[in-house]
Amino acid sequence: MGFPPPIPPSVLALAPLLALVAGALLVLLLEAFLKRKDGELPAFVAVFALLASAFFTVVSWNVGNSGVYLHGRLLVDNLALLVTGVLVLAGIAVILMSLKYAAHQDMNLGQLCGLLLLAVAGAMIMVSSSDGLVVFLGLEVLSVASYAMSGLKRQDRASSEAAAKYFLMGSFAGAFFVFGLALVFGTSGSLDLTAGLSAGASLSAFPAAGAVGLGLILTALFFKIAVAPFHMWAPDVYEGAPTPVTVFLTIVPKAAGLAVLLRVLLPLLSGETAAAAVFTPALSVAAVLTMFAGNLAALRQKSVKRMLAYSSIAHAGYLLVAIVAGDAPSLVFYLLVYLFMNGGAFAVLVAMSGRGFERASLGDFAGLGRRHPGLAASLSIFLLSLAGFPPTAGFLAKFYVFGAAVREGHILLAVAAVLASLIAVAYYLKIIVVMYMQDAEAAAAFDRDDPALFLVIFLGLLGVLQLGLWPGNALSLIRAAFNAF
Amino acid sequence: MIPPAAFLLLSAVLFSLGVLAFFVKKDLLTQFMAVEVMLNASNLAFLAMAKASGQAAGQVIVLFVITVAAAEAVIGLAIIVLIFRQRRTIRTDELKDLRG
Repeated sequence: MGFPPPIPPSVLALAPLLALVAGALLVLLLEAFLKRKDGELPAFVAVFALLASAFFTVVSWNVGNSGVYLHGRLLVDNLALLVTGVLVLAGIAVILMSLKYAAHQDMNLGQLCGLLLLAVAGAMIMVSSSDGLVVFLGLEVLSVASYAMSGLKRQDRASSEAAAKYFLMGSFAGAFFVFGLALVFGTSGSLDLTAGLSAGASLSAFPAAGAVGLGLILTALFFKIAVAPFHMWAPDVYEGAPTPVTVFLTIVPKAAGLAVLLRVLLPLLSGETAAAAVFTPALSVAAVLTMFAGNLAALRQKSVKRMLAYSSIAHAGYLLVAIVAGDAPSLVFYLLVYLFMNGGAFAVLVAMSGRGFERASLGDFAGLGRRHPGLAASLSIFLLSLAGFPPTAGFLAKFYVFGAAVREGHILLAVAAVLASLIAVAYYLKIIVVMYMQDAEAAAAFDRDDPALFLVIFLGLLGVLQLGLWPGNALSLIRAAFNAF
Repeated sequence: MIPPAAFLLLSAVLFSLGVLAFFVKKDLLTQFMAVEVMLNASNLAFLAMAKASGQAAGQVIVLFVITVAAAEAVIGLAIIVLIFRQRRTIRTDELKDLRG
């Protein structure tokens, strides 16, 4: 009997979730009963809840708490724990980014933190179950909280338009998931997404209704991840939402959706089954469409925020390549790197905003290299990483994903992915050129006194450079996690 | 005794009608109602499946789906009211501040 006393495995499996939900309730109560409305106390409570959740995740990892709990409703494995880590980091980054931003943009910080905790909890539920109903409930907790979060700038027309569009498309996609689940349940007699599907891995033994149901579920997940041709809502929502919420929307639903996709498709895609013959080409086409749709549309954007929104669609395409290759380690590594570089780039956008205004158009970046060299250099590094230049983590992440695709024999897909990332270089470099080569007509001055935001930018830089130059520790950790998978 | 396949067919028809209405209508509230029709079509499908296979799980799911639909309605109606207050209209073709 050591210290700390051992926690029962099923409690430990639930602990990361319980910490978040308890934190969310506490934050919402504080928000309702606190006298001072502009205080940062709710944010500190929320960060503490996220850290507690991270702590329990690490403990779960260290004691090897993998297994199935609560009568098969809760599945804890290395994939779930790793993705949970990414989700929690994203949550912490979003809260730190919005401390000042919320006050400047007339947003309620307490509501943002409470909703954020619930949304992260929903995403966590999604990744730690293979039961269709539980995945659906997690998806809805995540979605409903996200709709509200994207409309939190209540005076802002763009923000509420984003919320309305996200709500409409999101609930539409949710209905697809339910109907698909009904068909899969009816044909396989089981709610377990993986078991029911692998039983029917040969399509002849798999009734047509079940195949349609699976297609509907995949469609709903594609909506959430913003995969072409179901990405039309994404740029508007990402542009209109408050910038820290955009960071959340471009990372958390994508990570959770991709993890579910991996869980569902891995047994189907491995081997020369009839299902693989149908799904591999379909997924490859979706991946190629997503990469090119995102990158080509990003080329002609005048707003940097919208450009980054399209870039995040393109990155969903690269991540889908990892799914087609069936390579879980490279998927998780890419998600981790994407968290750092995408979060960092948007954090610089947050730093450019001030009381009551946001500067996100390309012209606002003119001359940034001279006036704010640190900010400009950070943004350059994040953009180079997003483009995939060698010393940064973005290069390695792409290298592993495309390498996995080649190894699995998807040569054409890898070639298309490389071509798409070449197109992407053009618009990432455009921002850098504007920052360093153009002079601003009216120098936009903004004072910065936001240590939390700079901590996020610093950690983003650290992650991008550390994972780019010395990825050994993180990589071997992730690889080892999936060797037993 | 009506065969379960008939219920399934009905739910598929209802679901398709919901999808159709979602794309045809240009009004936030009506489109949201179309989504509700789709959710309830799924409920009917679950009940038909539960009856056919004799599994109670199908009936339990319906309760969960109804709860989720209620939660979605709360947030959705709040967003629609917000849109109406700002713009005095809830037509979706008026929602075009965000363009690339």
